[in-house]
Amino acid sequence: MSLPVIPEELALALTDAALDIAQSGGASVAHVRIATHDNRMVSVRDGNVENVGAESTTGFSVRVVANGAWGFAATHELTLDGASHAARRALAMARVSAAVSTDTVSLADEPHYGTASWTMPVLIDPMSVSDDEVVELLMSWNRKVSASSAVHHVDAHAAMGRDTTFFADLSGNRLSQRRFRTSAQLTGIHIGEGGFDDMRTCAPPAGRGFEYLQGHGWDWDSELTRLPDYLDEKVKAPTVTAGAWDLVIDPTNLWLTIHESIGHATELDRALGYEANYAGTSFATLDKLGTFKYGSPIMNVTGDRVTEHGLSTVAWDDEGVAAQQWNLITDGILTGYQVDRNIASHVGLDRSNGCAFADSALHVPIQRMPNVSLQPGKDDHSTQDLISGVDRGIYIVGDKSWSIDMQRFNFQFTGQRFFEIKNGEIVGQVKDVVYQSKTPDFWGSMVAIGGPSTYLLGGALNCGKGQPGQVAPVSHGCPSAVFRNVNVLNGRQEASA
Amino acid sequence: MSNVTMNDAVDIALELLGKDGGVAVGEVNAVRNLRWANSSLTTNGDTIDNTLSLAAFVPVDDGIASGIVSGQVRTREDIADLVAAARLSALSAGASQDAMDLVAGSQHADFASPATQPSEDGLSSIAEQLAEVFKDNSAQYFGYAEYSHDTTYAGTSAGTRLRFEQPTARFELCAKSHDRTRSAWSGQSAQSLRDVIVAPHSLRVQTGIAHQSNRIDVEPGQHTVTLSPSAFADLMIYMLWTASAREAHEGRSVFSNPLGGTRIGERLTSRMLTVATDPQLAGLETSDAVVNLGASSMSSSFDTGLPIGRSAILSDGVLSALASSRHAAAEANLPFTPLADNIEVRDANGQGSLEDLAARMGNGLLVTCLWYIREVDPQSLLLTGLTRDGVYVVKNGEIAGSANNFRFNESPVGLLNRITDAGASTDCLPREWADYFSRSRVCPVTVDSFNLSTRSDAI
Repeated sequence: MSLPVIPEELALALTDAALDIAQSGGASVAHVRIATHDNRMVSVRDGNVENVGAESTTGFSVRVVANGAWGFAATHELTLDGASHAARRALAMARVSAAVSTDTVSLADEPHYGTASWTMPVLIDPMSVSDDEVVELLMSWNRKVSASSAVHHVDAHAAMGRDTTFFADLSGNRLSQRRFRTSAQLTGIHIGEGGFDDMRTCAPPAGRGFEYLQGHGWDWDSELTRLPDYLDEKVKAPTVTAGAWDLVIDPTNLWLTIHESIGHATELDRALGYEANYAGTSFATLDKLGTFKYGSPIMNVTGDRVTEHGLSTVAWDDEGVAAQQWNLITDGILTGYQVDRNIASHVGLDRSNGCAFADSALHVPIQRMPNVSLQPGKDDHSTQDLISGVDRGIYIVGDKSWSIDMQRFNFQFTGQRFFEIKNGEIVGQVKDVVYQSKTPDFWGSMVAIGGPSTYLLGGALNCGKGQPGQVAPVSHGCPSAVFRNVNVLNGRQEASA
Repeated sequence: MSNVTMNDAVDIALELLGKDGGVAVGEVNAVRNLRWANSSLTTNGDTIDNTLSLAAFVPVDDGIASGIVSGQVRTREDIADLVAAARLSALSAGASQDAMDLVAGSQHADFASPATQPSEDGLSSIAEQLAEVFKDNSAQYFGYAEYSHDTTYAGTSAGTRLRFEQPTARFELCAKSHDRTRSAWSGQSAQSLRDVIVAPHSLRVQTGIAHQSNRIDVEPGQHTVTLSPSAFADLMIYMLWTASAREAHEGRSVFSNPLGGTRIGERLTSRMLTVATDPQLAGLETSDAVVNLGASSMSSSFDTGLPIGRSAILSDGVLSALASSRHAAAEANLPFTPLADNIEVRDANGQGSLEDLAARMGNGLLVTCLWYIREVDPQSLLLTGLTRDGVYVVKNGEIAGSANNFRFNESPVGLLNRITDAGASTDCLPREWADYFSRSRVCPVTVDSFNLSTRSDAI
């Protein structure tokens, strides 16, 4: 182990103690995870620092399969007693579960990797930067935006994280890895006679270091310069006419629609009912694999844990499965799912595609989303090319509100800004745009797709799933794309309906 | 924590923070849970954790700065490292806008008592009761049971020493027909899983599944609906979360007066409806003092130790208060209004059960659960979301069958004035927000012209 989760000698001693107890207690499978999560956050409001904070937590967990059932226990006690107690409690939980389980746990095979480590490549470890530097950066952004008379309030924050994890099992794996994430958002608020409105930056969170906030991978300066004008135009814009519109959706908005309507829908644990009480199920049931028309023939979607700067990118998942890339939707047809080792075995797959993840050592790994991305078209059409092909439409930029039903059919999204298109030209902003559709209808209406030059890796830090609730970071790459005759609602009118 | 107890850790941290002062909060948390799907137990967990969090106050040129850190501590040296990090963060932050003098709050006599380690949490009993439920082959069962026990030690350099225990249990049961065309849910919040009896929940979901055997297609549109306590709680909780005095005062909230100031004093509904939080609410008790680290429009580290009383945001239909820290309250020229971690929604004229209310509705839709609630427009507080696990068609006061699901677009503030009837308040588990907010006592309501905007084919 080459990464400093806790002192190596201690980590290995705790691991050996827990694995010995688990095995001698009848476990056929035993996984130990030790994880340290470092997070920091700075927020400013109207030119004043509101919060500067940091947290660091370390936990030790044991997961076993005994009598065919899972058992999981975890502790903050990084001692031999703590580790041993956790192993015994995991065995006890498996005994409780086995008595009422008809679903015998069995894990798909995976090669062993021995002792190995991996670190996400970044230029600047976000934990190494001083608070002063982060504060000054956000304050400079605040000053830049608040200089405009259109902006009456400014909220901004930056959040950075570093996860250092160690995984060990009975097969001899001793895998350590470290990954990073960095994000920031700034919102300008206008208050006028007609009420208030806002405009937020569109920069996605990224699997990068602090260099991301300095301009590596995102042009903050340009975005912050233009934001007040965008807000001013939005405030003065006419309200949208509800009805069917062609939509050109920018990657800064489309990533979230992909997340909700494809990412979650192709989680096989959902399709099999494991999330039925909480996050829901999926319309994309296993019987549809290989035949279901998910969208138009230009639709190709992959899952992966290997994308550079991806928030789901790792070397191994939390069951020791090596990172992979695979197809989820091919030429518009459902061709794959996200699985962990138990689900893979359950449906007869030879191998998991590495989607087991827990957001801390205190939570059990469940099947979580990898980077799920819509592939760009072969021809390098620009976003402007796509707009040029639309007679009457709306170009949507930036994500905002989102909601989707428990089988991932009916969704509704808004955005940061909406540009009306007439005869292939943008003529100005409209506001109060809400687009709503049903997943197969929406993706079936995708008639054109941008090329590699429009491709952007978006994503979120707050993907929720599971009971107890867990939060995962995830990235989604996509190009701009055109959708025909999508139902657009007027948000103001919906409120007064 | 191996070498120091959490109450000692709080004392040591405050000693190390010295004359500049600060706040220290230690939390010891034990959680046990069971999950099930397809009538079989699946995952589970048994975890223990503790954390020490600090707000270090440091004098700077133009006031008092505050820095927040959180971590696990085992030794005095660990605590010293945490204190040093918090002081460093404070210096970077500069003067806090919300800085105010700490108050000398209570000193609980049991502050030095060790954290409670619950010995019997009822989880095994839940598993045994579920085994009986799973014998029913007419449906498949899904759900979750959790018991958590938090012991919080909070201290300030002004002498406050508080110790709270917060036991929380929740139970959820969902039944689906084998062909997955019907689905029903029942949930309960409690202080212990030993208070949960599974049989009434299984009967409730089995009855729901039976009602759904007669499917009646209903078109989207504006419908008269009766919202269950769980569904109405989810809407009222979101309203509570956005009832910030500061945002309203600044003109950035549904509670802002277009002419300036806030809408406090405005009647939002003709019903005698009250929305309140109350730490002494019998059976739903929660901390009666502010324990907070960090600054937001509704809270401040500097308020830690101040008492929380009953706070009514809506009193007999009139907007009567907005949540605030002391600093935000002073800026808005409003009374300081901290919120407790529960909600009571009561209609002074509310009578009868959910079933009674649906019967009085005569014709309309009975909505059992809402899901995936998100804000669409903060100006009107327009929310969207879905109905879930049972929309029942009521004809002539009787359940005639079940409808398809819907996406709604509604404002919890806007709908208040369309409430035409209400039942008696009962304890309920808010389906959407139960992860964060489970202590709820809410009445069912009947609402006219509820905007069921589009159809959802989800089950």
